Formats: sequence, structure tokens, C-alpha cells
Amino acid sequence: MSITLRNTFAAVGALVCLAQPLAAADHTIGALFPLSGPNAVYGDVFMSGADLAVDHINADGILSGPLSIAYEDSQGLPQPAVVGMTKLVNVTKVPYTLSAFTGVSKAISTLAMRNKVVAVNGGGVGPDLATLGEYFWNVIPLANLEVRAIVPYMVNERKLTKVALIYIDDPLGQAMEAEFETELPKVGAELVEAYSVPTTAQQFSGVAAQVRSSGADVVYVASYGNQQIQIVKQLRDNGVDAQLASYSGYAVPDAFALPESEGMLITGQGVDLEAQDPVTKRFVTDYRAKYDRDPTAYNINYYNATLLYGVLAAAIEKDGNDVTGEALLNKRKEMGSFDLVGGTVTFQDNGTLLFPIQVKEIKNGAAEALTSVNFE
Amino acid sequence: MEAYIFNLVNLIAIYAILAVTLNFIMGYAGIYSLAHAVFFGIGAYTGSWVAQNVSPSIFVTLPAAMAASAVVSLLLALPALRVRGEYFVAASLGLQVLAVTIFSEWKGFTGGIGGVLAIPAVRIMGVEVYQPSQFSILSVAMLILVLLAINALVHSSFGRNLRAIRDSESAAASFGKNVPMIKTISVVISAALAAVAGVLYASYLSFINVETFTLDNSVLIMAMVIIGGTGTIAGPVVGAAVLLLLPSLISYFAFLPQTEIGALQQIIYGLGMTLLMIFRPGGIVGRRAGK
Repeated sequence: MSITLRNTFAAVGALVCLAQPLAAADHTIGALFPLSGPNAVYGDVFMSGADLAVDHINADGILSGPLSIAYEDSQGLPQPAVVGMTKLVNVTKVPYTLSAFTGVSKAISTLAMRNKVVAVNGGGVGPDLATLGEYFWNVIPLANLEVRAIVPYMVNERKLTKVALIYIDDPLGQAMEAEFETELPKVGAELVEAYSVPTTAQQFSGVAAQVRSSGADVVYVASYGNQQIQIVKQLRDNGVDAQLASYSGYAVPDAFALPESEGMLITGQGVDLEAQDPVTKRFVTDYRAKYDRDPTAYNINYYNATLLYGVLAAAIEKDGNDVTGEALLNKRKEMGSFDLVGGTVTFQDNGTLLFPIQVKEIKNGAAEALTSVNFE
Repeated sequence: MEAYIFNLVNLIAIYAILAVTLNFIMGYAGIYSLAHAVFFGIGAYTGSWVAQNVSPSIFVTLPAAMAASAVVSLLLALPALRVRGEYFVAASLGLQVLAVTIFSEWKGFTGGIGGVLAIPAVRIMGVEVYQPSQFSILSVAMLILVLLAINALVHSSFGRNLRAIRDSESAAASFGKNVPMIKTISVVISAALAAVAGVLYASYLSFINVETFTLDNSVLIMAMVIIGGTGTIAGPVVGAAVLLLLPSLISYFAFLPQTEIGALQQIIYGLGMTLLMIFRPGGIVGRRAGK
């Protein structure tokens, strides 16, 4: 019996010793997604993109060991996110984590900075997400870039020079208001009125009356969720016939299905799903095969965020170094540009990806690209 | 791993302070408030503002936050405590709704929906305290201080007055007790001590926004008191520990599929709470358990 026990211990010890190098070569990144609560549906959407990137990275064998994602439920709220992030940093010991939702991203940014763990946002577009420190990256163009793309188009191509803005009273809306104030004078246009609406407001007939009397050529809606749909519907119901415009937050099926959306100008991340570059082609083909639907911008962003880790970690391992948050940050700065879904992209100094922005028009319930704007 | 455990210890200690202070009015005076997250929030926002603009020293932030919370609670208590029972619940609910709107709109002070970023770490004698292990000494020490203060109060003549009011306001009044005054003082003390939790929370997380100070959080704090056991010293602490540890423990169940873990967590969590209330209706350490 004692011999058996000794043998067993020896065997277990040997297995543990053998397992150590393998475990060290494994790659685990974190993800703080809403997996429960009212925003759980977003968690599924984000995961589908990230999981496909893991499949591709592992199939290609570009890393020294298999990559996996440790998911933690943020519920889309700051406090559960901090608990989850602490677990990812201190227990799972990830060097890189995916993040979503503005409150969550802000709450974990200090932990990311203090522990030198990279946190990557692929969902929120509020421009204040570009100010969370060098360990916080955005693989999504932020909303201020969308304003910079649509303003010259409205003025130069459509001769729409008087702009009325209806914006949600939060950091996103406020940042877009500031962006219009800066960008419009550059092209000889003006902001004739700016109406801030509370986050919970659903009645906009009063705003519509003011917009009508403002003489605006174009009304830009900077809101999200059901509110933006109500704004557009009630503007038209209340006799506003000026051109309507919005940003990528309007690109949701419910908004496209609204008859009042017909003819609206919107902007969005410029991704041509029919592009023939190998990364985009492989992603689109495999995404359609795996999920039986076309990918959305969120799927693309979290695929890109995960793929970015694979590219950076592979380069670091090639140099013979350990994959840490600090090494990932340095390698990102060193490499400069990356081949991701949508083409070759570069990061700005503030850790935000520069992506081409498309100006589109909603026609027959779908967005049709009019032009694409590249930023340097 | 230690940092993760200490992180949970910190959150438990902070929420235990909230639960203990709510229990002070709920368990001993029978004042059911749905606005405790408001005083938590006032403490957090005031502490953040003072830390960013005056000094991050705990000897500056704590008194300022406690004073602000006490003044606001006085404004609520003076008119609202002239009514009884469910009417105070309605008044506190009104304050909660009003406060969330103010927290969202008063951008200069609260940062609006975007919240307050980069809150300095709390400083004690010139030393910045933010590492989970260091902070746990502070948070647990503050919890013990609050527990000692509450324990001293409930075992004083003031505490006996509170229990008398809880059992029968009319009887207490007929014995010459100034019921509105006693209730007002108890709410002010409770709110001022809840602000301590707010200061600790803001400096520890370094970020706060209105999402933490909503009605959901007020209900969570009340659930901590009820599940732990109202009218007991240890009950709220146990309630806070159970409600904060359960989700973390469930996240370690490796056999649960990752994509369904959120929904399963909610089911297990809800079921556990329901069973607890069926078999321990007086709370985990409640005196009237099983009745």
C-alpha cells in the first residue's frame, strides 16, 4: 500500500513537473463582458467575435501555446467589473483584457494602469474613453472621428451649412457638441442650435418645434437606444423636413426599419465585408459559416481586439521575451500598424485605433456607403 | 490571489458599514429607508471632491463627507419623520429618485453620467493607501469603529428610546419622549456614518458614477440587513458578506458553461436567497429565526 502511495505521489509529482512548462506556454486573456442583467445580450455579441479570433489564432499556431479567454461577468456595471478585473489581474494573472461599456471601462482603467495590464474597449464610442491612460486602448473609432468625417461631406457635397444638434446629456453627447463647435467653422458652416436632452427623455415635440423654427438645413441626432429612434420619429411627425444625420450608434435594425429613417446620413466604421484582403475575407467567411449571419461592427471590433493580442504576443515571443502588459504596450508602439479586419490600421498616441469612417445613406432599410474618409 | 481576497474583504467591509448603519435605524428604530444609497453617494462624491480639490487626507475627507451627508439627511428627516411607517418609505423613495437625478445632472460636482475619474488614493499620515491588502486594514478598522459606535449607542438610553419607538411610537410619546427628535437624530447619525463607506469606496475604486447610488443599491443594502438579521450587531455584517461573496464563489464553479454563467449565477443566487428566507426568516443570525 505504501509503495502504491509512493508511486502515486511520484507519478503526480512527475505530472506536475511536466505540466509546468506547458502551463507556462498557455496564453489566457481576460474579458469583462455583461453576461447577466439587462445588457447580457451584448455579452453574447461581443463573445462571438472574440471566440472566433481565438479559433483562428489557435488554428494558426502563432503562439507558443493555446490561447483562451477567461470571461468575467461585469453586468455592465462598475462595481462587479472591479471585482472581475481584480480576479483577472491577481488570480488569472492576465496581461490583456477586453472591456465593454463606458462605466466598466472607466472603473477598471485605474486597476489596468496600476497593474500594467492592457484593457481594450471595442464597444463604447464616447471620446472620453481616449483619456484613460496608456494601458487603455480602443479598437473602435470614437465618435469625435465620425463628426470629423461627416461635417465636410454635409457641407461640401450636400451644401448643408446650418446644423441643428440634438444631443443626449452625457459624456458622449457633450463631446459631440464640442466637436461640432470646433469642426463646423473650419468648413464655413455653423451650429444654429444645440438641444441637450436628458438620458431618460422620450418626448421631443417641443424640441421639434424649436428645430423647425431654427431654419437648420440638417439635424444631427447624437443619442442612442430607443431615445434616438423616438427623436427621429417625432421630428418627422412634427413636421421637420430637414435632412437628418447621425453616427454609428444609429446603425441598429430597429432604427433602419423605421420609415422616418429613409434618406438619413449616418457614419460608421468603414469595413467592407466584401474586401479581398486575407484577414477580412477569412473573418467574414468563417463568421458567416459559424454563426449563419453577417458580422456587425461589435463582432469585428472584439475579433480585432483578440487578434491584436495574438499578433503582439507572437512578436514578443519571437523576440524571446515574456508576454506582459508592459511588453504588449511597447510592442504596439514599436509595430505601429496592424492588418486587422477592415484593412491596415494604426493607433493614435492616445491608444485609439484610427479606422476609415464611411459616410452612408439609409435606403430601403439598409445603409449604403457614399464615401470613405481616411484619417492620418 | 491574496489581492483578490483582500479586494472582496474591502468591498464587504464597506458594504457592512452601510448595512450596519441602515440596521441602526431599521432594526432598532423601525425606520425603513430606501434612500441609504443616497447617503453612500453623498459621502462618495463629497469625499472625492475634497480629495481632488482640498486634500486626500482621511482626516479631511471623512469629516467633510460625514457633515454633508448629515445635513442632507436632516433635510429629509425633519419633514419626513413626522409621518409613520410606510409613509417614510415613500418619502425616502422620493429622495432616492431625486438624488439620482441630481447626481446625474450636477456635472460640476458629480461628473454627471460620466462620473468622477482619477480620485486620489486615501492618505493617512502622508501615506497613500490603495493596495487591497493595505486598504483592508483601513476598511476593517473603520468597520470596527462604526460597529463600536453603533453598539455603544444602542446600549445607551438613546438606544432604549429607539427600541421603544420601534415597538410603539404612541406609547413612547405618552411617556414623554420627543419621538420626531429621536428619530431625526438617529437618521442623521446613520447617514453620517454611511458617508464613511462612501469615502472609502470612492478612494478605493478611484472612480464613481451614479450607477452605484441607485435604488438597486439601496435595496441591496436593505437585503443585507434582512438576510443577516435585523436588530442584531453581527447580522448586517454577515448579510453583506453573504451577498457579496455568493456571486464571486459561483464564478469559481468551473463546471458551469462560460456563456451561461451569468444566467446560472442569477438563478443560484435567487434560489439561495429564497430558501434562506423560507428556513431562516429572521435572518442568518436573527433573534427570531424560524418564527
